[in-house]
Amino acid sequence: MSTRKNINRLATIGGICTVVALAASGCGAGGPASSSGSAGTSTVNVLVEAGGHAELTGVAEQCKKETGVDVNFVELPYDGMFNRLSSEFSSGTVSFDVAALDSVWLPSFKDAVQPIDELFTDEAKKDIFPALVKEANVDGHFIGMPAWTNAEIILYRKDLFEDAKNKADFQAKYGYGLAAPTTWKQYQDISAFFTKDGMYGTDVKGGVETEWLAHVLQAGSPMVLDANNKVVIDNAAHKEALDFYTSLVKDAPSGAAQVDWAAAQNLFNQGKTAMTRFWAHAYRQIPKDSAVAGKVGAAPMIAGSAGVGGVPGPWYLSVPKATKNADAAKKFVKCAYDYNDKGIESNLGLAARISAFEKYQDKPGYESFKPLIQTLNGKATATRPATEKWQQIVDTVLVPMLQKAVAGGDSATLLADAKKQIEDLLK
Amino acid sequence: MRISDRRFALFLMTPAALFLAVFVAFPLFRLVADSFFKISPIAGGSREFVGLDNYVRAFASEAFTGAGWRTLAYTLVVVTLEFALGLGMALLFTMLGKSSQIWRTVFMYPLMIAPIVAGLLWKFLMIDNFGLIGTLLHQAGILSDPNQIGWLSDPGIVLYSVAVPDIWLTTSFMCLVLFAGLQNIPGDLIEAARLDGARAPALLFRIILPLLRPVIAVALVVRGIDAARAFDTILIQTNGGPQSASETMSLLIYRTMIRFGDPGLASAMGTLYLLAMLAVAFVAVSTIWRPGKDN
Repeated sequence: MSTRKNINRLATIGGICTVVALAASGCGAGGPASSSGSAGTSTVNVLVEAGGHAELTGVAEQCKKETGVDVNFVELPYDGMFNRLSSEFSSGTVSFDVAALDSVWLPSFKDAVQPIDELFTDEAKKDIFPALVKEANVDGHFIGMPAWTNAEIILYRKDLFEDAKNKADFQAKYGYGLAAPTTWKQYQDISAFFTKDGMYGTDVKGGVETEWLAHVLQAGSPMVLDANNKVVIDNAAHKEALDFYTSLVKDAPSGAAQVDWAAAQNLFNQGKTAMTRFWAHAYRQIPKDSAVAGKVGAAPMIAGSAGVGGVPGPWYLSVPKATKNADAAKKFVKCAYDYNDKGIESNLGLAARISAFEKYQDKPGYESFKPLIQTLNGKATATRPATEKWQQIVDTVLVPMLQKAVAGGDSATLLADAKKQIEDLLK
Repeated sequence: MRISDRRFALFLMTPAALFLAVFVAFPLFRLVADSFFKISPIAGGSREFVGLDNYVRAFASEAFTGAGWRTLAYTLVVVTLEFALGLGMALLFTMLGKSSQIWRTVFMYPLMIAPIVAGLLWKFLMIDNFGLIGTLLHQAGILSDPNQIGWLSDPGIVLYSVAVPDIWLTTSFMCLVLFAGLQNIPGDLIEAARLDGARAPALLFRIILPLLRPVIAVALVVRGIDAARAFDTILIQTNGGPQSASETMSLLIYRTMIRFGDPGLASAMGTLYLLAMLAVAFVAVSTIWRPGKDN
């Protein structure tokens, strides 16, 4: 019987241990919010997209000196970043005190972050690009401080453009000189000219929507939704932009449907494309061992009938409501504004203040800044519509529509279908 | 202290039951409960009872029905190919006997690779403009242009392309399970059939496969459910594109919940998916395995 008794005892002890272990782990997983890992201390956890770490390191060092706030960075890839933010905001427990948010996420997360109106002084508003000041203000409150901004410019192969034979051949074929394009007709001609011998004139990105939207702005229409949130995706400007976008497919590498930013950057850096419309930061990110290093020129985004238009790609520093370390977090956000130019010498090499860009624009290695400033100040430049459904509209309507368009779909039909789908989403 | 057998059995079951209650039953209950609410994606936001509205929205959405059919097609392709290849390899290993030991180990190799790594590997093999497969087929004279086939950019074939890493990874699992099952088929039965004049096809279809039935059922159900919730390999290769042509149910539910911030609709989709999987598992077990029926 003693064996039986021992088994009973063991089973009982085992059961109790398991219950305790489960209770303990249960508390850890779903218990009350422990708030951020740095509650009430002078250390702030900053969640950033890859690249943001380097961009903000100089700021963090300066902030430590000035205010004593220590910064601990958590770096995530772009897609992982949104998903992490979304999960943490929905659980109510956040592991960070400051998050760098992509501009398109602001409307989605507006209820989860604190207003930082006190940091937007009149002086600050004057030194930040107007489109960004407008975008940072959601429902009457400023909820994010622009940390760095970006826009698409034209990157082109200077060596090919300056080659004497290319110049002569181009002149003979098109009747004007080969130079960085200033009209979209020239862009088309140059793309067609360089598409030969395994090389392509440009790329067409079917996996992302921003570039097509920039063409929409240049054609004189707001993007997808007008000021009253009415869907205008089927208007003439959207069709003109889509027709132009797909007209370049014949001069672009195959598989346009799946070409996204990473693929396009790779194609250009590998020397497969002669021109690309790309975010300005890519100019300084061309690897030194790349076939095109030192051979790239930068030009402003080209104007359409409505003028130069680009979609700014700013990132905002926001403080979540759930953090218990809001004071230190706001100090860091202020530092990021005060020492905004510290990020320019990083690998990402961007800033958000006009004065910071202007300080560097004439220095060698920063040739992309003037085109970037010109694009950001462009007459038609505008930020994306502030709707919390934007990400869903992009993922389920705009990108699939572009992918069908680059595969040869009829633009008017595709835009009409897209209008209906977006209206359904916004209901 | 004396306790009854019944109570003793209860004691032994308690830890597992508690574990299942906390980590399976409770989340399941929450999933089903959430599917009847419209929930704000931000903590502390609104939570409004909407009855069956989320289910109506799920069935009315083309994305949901499309993802359902794609998941079914993906699962059928993956499981059929894995089963055919796995059974072939298992029979080969059985035939080779002890000399197959090293080959068996080598064949297990893909099973040890993380799916996300395998997905990335195959992405670079199949990607447009840089993919090795296109280049090799071109050099072999099969394709006129390395980019002739858009493995990951042609919506017509992308679902089959993204299935390749999954097949490559888990055929060895199917082989392992079937090989173990083959070891249990009595050798004298095969020998007797041979003496009676049975040829290879008759041996396979009349002796081996019927005897393997319980093992096949387990392998198919486990792999079928596993394939139906394919996620990581597809996410890394195409993220569901182009034109959502490789978006399976798990990807859709994940995107609805995390990316589009609609936990209620995602829960309704998850519940429907769960019911469908339960039904499939039930049918598979009762038709292929038929526990107890043969006796």
